[in-house]
Amino acid sequence: MATNIDFKNIWKQQTSNKPNMEELLGKLKKFRNQNLRRLIFSNIGLITTSLLILFIWYRYQPEMITTKIGIVLVVLGMAIFLFAYNKMFMVFYKIDQTQSNNEYLQSLYVVKSKQKFMQTTILNLYFIMLFLGICFYMYEYTSRMTLGSGILAYAVTLAWIAFNWFYLRPRTIKKQQGKLDELINKFEEINNQLKES
Amino acid sequence: MVFEEIYELYWQRIFRLCMGYVNDTELAQDLAQETFIIVWQQLPKFRNESNIGTWIFRIASNNCLRQIEKEKKFAKTDLPINLEEKKQESMEPQIQMLYQFISELPETDRIIISLELEEVKQAEIAHIVGLSESNIRVKIHRIKEKLTQKFKENGY
Repeated sequence: MATNIDFKNIWKQQTSNKPNMEELLGKLKKFRNQNLRRLIFSNIGLITTSLLILFIWYRYQPEMITTKIGIVLVVLGMAIFLFAYNKMFMVFYKIDQTQSNNEYLQSLYVVKSKQKFMQTTILNLYFIMLFLGICFYMYEYTSRMTLGSGILAYAVTLAWIAFNWFYLRPRTIKKQQGKLDELINKFEEINNQLKES
Repeated sequence: MVFEEIYELYWQRIFRLCMGYVNDTELAQDLAQETFIIVWQQLPKFRNESNIGTWIFRIASNNCLRQIEKEKKFAKTDLPINLEEKKQESMEPQIQMLYQFISELPETDRIIISLELEEVKQAEIAHIVGLSESNIRVKIHRIKEKLTQKFKENGY
């Protein structure tokens, strides 16, 4: 093979203006804030909703144990969902970026596969707890209605739950999984480039 | 080593590595900047066990590999016409060609050849990528053959 093309020389001729330090440090600050903001927002969501529900508990003083179980289930469901969400987010940011490419690709692959499993499991758990919670919560108030309207109230709620479970949930999962699968496949493919030869 | 020194010393090298990976000036600038942000954050954790260059190149190449994750977000809004081409018109066609051909290689090959052209020792490249030295040598040989072939097809 005759390599008389001086690749190294051509390669070196490419240069780019170095952004000044201030610009870089400005970006660093923005980058830090962004991550922090995302984390804060998701947690504010959890805390305000939980506080609101606990306020309802305090304000309307439910009498039956079923109502209290319902409230606890809903709050717990949201707490688990957000806790898992935060954790997944952190895990991804904690991957050691100073490993070799080979090890790094493997960690990316492992983390993404884990994320895929977690997402489905946690989402299912969240939906089940939310639905159970609502059914329990409703009992106290429907028990005071006439039989007919009580049944109607449950029928409407169950229909709404069914719509969520059979339509919204699979769609959400499919959307999330689609993106993740693409990434997982790509990471695997790149990783395989290192295995051959 | 102080961050300012590292930045001064490695900016062009890291930029070229990113440029070889994506062949897009703006994107390469972003990737290089991200690399230095990570370097800045991780620097206190750096122990002199390994060469600082190896350490920085590892961060840079890993950041490039992760790039596909962000790519997805832009893919749909990508313009049909490559506006980047106009900007690079003034650049020597040889340089343009080399970077274009490299960016068309499989992802890990892009990193390996970029490091080789940056005159990183093959033992170091092996350490950055995580393959054996002999493996790297074979790969570099093949990639260079491929690039020569492509250059010849284009009249060089």
